[in-house]
Amino acid sequence: MQRIPAVDEHDLPSRRTTLLWYIERMGASTAIERISRLLDSDMTETSNTSMRIPTALREAAALAAKELKVAPSATALTTMALRAALEAAVMRAALDDHYAEHPEARPDLAEIAIAAAEIDGNPLAADPDRIRRAAAEIAATHPDPEPEDVLLWAEARAFPS
Amino acid sequence: MTRFVVLDNEAVQALASPHHPKHQRILGYVELVERRKRHAAAISILAPTAVRVEAGWDRNSPQWAFINRLRIVDILLDAECANKAAAIREQAHVSVADAHIGATVQSAPDADITVVTSDPRDIHTVTGGRRVTVVAI
Repeated sequence: MQRIPAVDEHDLPSRRTTLLWYIERMGASTAIERISRLLDSDMTETSNTSMRIPTALREAAALAAKELKVAPSATALTTMALRAALEAAVMRAALDDHYAEHPEARPDLAEIAIAAAEIDGNPLAADPDRIRRAAAEIAATHPDPEPEDVLLWAEARAFPS
Repeated sequence: MTRFVVLDNEAVQALASPHHPKHQRILGYVELVERRKRHAAAISILAPTAVRVEAGWDRNSPQWAFINRLRIVDILLDAECANKAAAIREQAHVSVADAHIGATVQSAPDADITVVTSDPRDIHTVTGGRRVTVVAI
């Protein structure tokens, strides 16, 4: 009788791929939780850093803080920008995880552009169909457009050519 | 200028539940905030803690895990804020949560504020004449 070799399902390529994906996701998930906790923690404790940044960028930050008053200091400006970037990364990861589980929940470009108009109090918010048309047009011609691009295009279309 | 996006009870509920009919719409606001943060804009989503109480949002409960990860800032009902909210509630006859939204709005005079709410009329009564963008969901 011919024997059928036993298959160790752990050796199947698809299984290995899934396992690797799971381990990577768990690593990322743990990092996100840790970053989130750190962002919530006491920010009054500070430390000197040996982080190297381009000299021109540092001078530009100092000028922006001093002359444009965008922040109390170049350090505060750097800290604000870093916090915003980290918060965005945590939010992006949470949203992407959510969409992996609920793909139907992902808002499209038009919906995000409508949200932008509403949040900013832009009069275009009263005409969501116009925003949807603009989103469809700009998505057809531009790779990866931003919601603000859609609003700009929707406004531009209102002018006679 | 910093922009704050303040959520009311229904906005919180809609964001937390994928089965809520307004879930996708509220995610549009969150997507926008994420994109703007990525471009280093000063923008945050706020949840007054009285709103959290009304919505049943317990940060220690696993059912709120998703919304907990969205970097939504708690606005605490401390003694000063409670005084302001009590005065608003007395004057406008609104819920405690809406009074706390009003106190939050009135305590941030230098920010641009948007309130996402299912009840825009109540919100207009609690802002104390402060210019606020109200988004009705």
